[in-house]
Amino acid sequence: MSDHGHSSDPGAHGPVTRAGESADDALGHPPTGHAAGHDGHDEHGHGGIFKYLLVFAALCFLTGMSFFTYSSAWPWRNEPQVGWAFMMAVSCTKAMLVVLFFMHVFWEANWKYVLTIPAAMMAVFLTLMLVPDVGMRNRMVSQERALHMARTSDVKLLERAAEAAADAAH
Amino acid sequence: MNAHALPLPHDHGHDAGHGHADGHGHGDGHGHHGHVVLQYQPGLPLSKGKLIMWLFLSTEIMFFAALLGSYVVLRFGAAVWPKPHHVHLSEPIGAMNTFVLICSSVTVVLAFEAARANKGAAAKMWLAITLLLGSVFLGVKAYEYQAKFSHGIYPWKPRGRIYERPDLYYGSAVRARLGEPAIIDELKRIDEAAPGSLPPDQEAAKPKLQLVRKLVASPEQQPFDLAVVADQIMPLPAEGAAHGGGHGPHGLNDVFPWLKLPIVIPGGNMWASTYFLMTGFHAIHVAVGLLVFAILLGYRIGPKNAGLIENAGLYWHFVDLVWIFLFPLLYLF
Repeated sequence: MSDHGHSSDPGAHGPVTRAGESADDALGHPPTGHAAGHDGHDEHGHGGIFKYLLVFAALCFLTGMSFFTYSSAWPWRNEPQVGWAFMMAVSCTKAMLVVLFFMHVFWEANWKYVLTIPAAMMAVFLTLMLVPDVGMRNRMVSQERALHMARTSDVKLLERAAEAAADAAH
Repeated sequence: MNAHALPLPHDHGHDAGHGHADGHGHGDGHGHHGHVVLQYQPGLPLSKGKLIMWLFLSTEIMFFAALLGSYVVLRFGAAVWPKPHHVHLSEPIGAMNTFVLICSSVTVVLAFEAARANKGAAAKMWLAITLLLGSVFLGVKAYEYQAKFSHGIYPWKPRGRIYERPDLYYGSAVRARLGEPAIIDELKRIDEAAPGSLPPDQEAAKPKLQLVRKLVASPEQQPFDLAVVADQIMPLPAEGAAHGGGHGPHGLNDVFPWLKLPIVIPGGNMWASTYFLMTGFHAIHVAVGLLVFAILLGYRIGPKNAGLIENAGLYWHFVDLVWIFLFPLLYLF
């Protein structure tokens, strides 16, 4: 590590961070001053409250949209896959809004990719690795499990019992 | 060593070895006339606190991805998975909690902005509102947990009161429960109660109780009989029944809370395990966030410690982010 690799006039030579010094050492420097050039986001003026309120409105609207799949007005009640895909799309959009604007990632420097992309990839791999042993666990089961595990026929039986009870009540 | 040095725009394309990090360069890094001026940047361009928070959040992404991923894989790999209303989940309550968390995310960013603008009182007010909203979220969650527990839905080994199918094992479990001394005494009290002395719902449920007792004791039980028993004890509302806004018809366990008979929810055990694991870890994260906000409220807030609020906010937004996925996965799928 250099012990003299710093400039006496950082402002004249672009962003310089000395070892042991935080770029936007929030406790020592208000982010609006010295830190503005380092963290990147201040110079874009992301602090507009109107922007946050706009994101908030979008999030509320999107929550309403995913709740719409639950309402009786949802047209694809018999095709649940449509609802799942729709809700996941809505959730991903909401997550993007929160990450980009509330977490300020939209205004951050490129380090954001270093931290988020590998973690996101690991998350996907982790899930995929579960598929053979966990996701396909019911393709071949022991007799004991087959004896106790629920089947679609059990649900139908219960529904028939509920219908019979409703008929008897009437 | 040179690989670490960043040439500045007035680099003349030669002597790039000067101003390097090994102490053999030209002193202060400016160099002589015509020499390259190099700067050294040892880390990421963000504060230590923020870097640590983001590293922590990276591990959190994987932690919750493991939980959510396992849930998705378990859910879609299962032969049967209970519908949200089968397990007494109320979609409007879940949507309300989502709204509460979104509001709290907004109040955190407003607290951060107020702190940056040196408006300490406003920042504290927004933090206090965040604390309140987070507490509302946890309160609603506690209410939901209580509703599950009161219906006998909780993870247990090998099972709590949840049976996967209305089979012989279930029938014998109901019979065993009805044969417990305390239950026999209560049933006797119900049988011997004078007409009109019981509450109306219990009076109306008496024939159902008789039916269940008769069916589980019958030596000629059929699978359908046991389905009727399960339905009388805790009915599973048919598709669409929950859209009326209620939780479906009341069963014997609701009318006689002391009865605590085994119930049938196909896929219910795995559901309970995943539901309580995911929402439990999420609730712990919410509680930790609230603790942090409570501590922050004790500080004098201004531009100097806006970074603290930003870091706490990053954590809080992440907690919100997890719920954004949990809500549809648990309540609407």
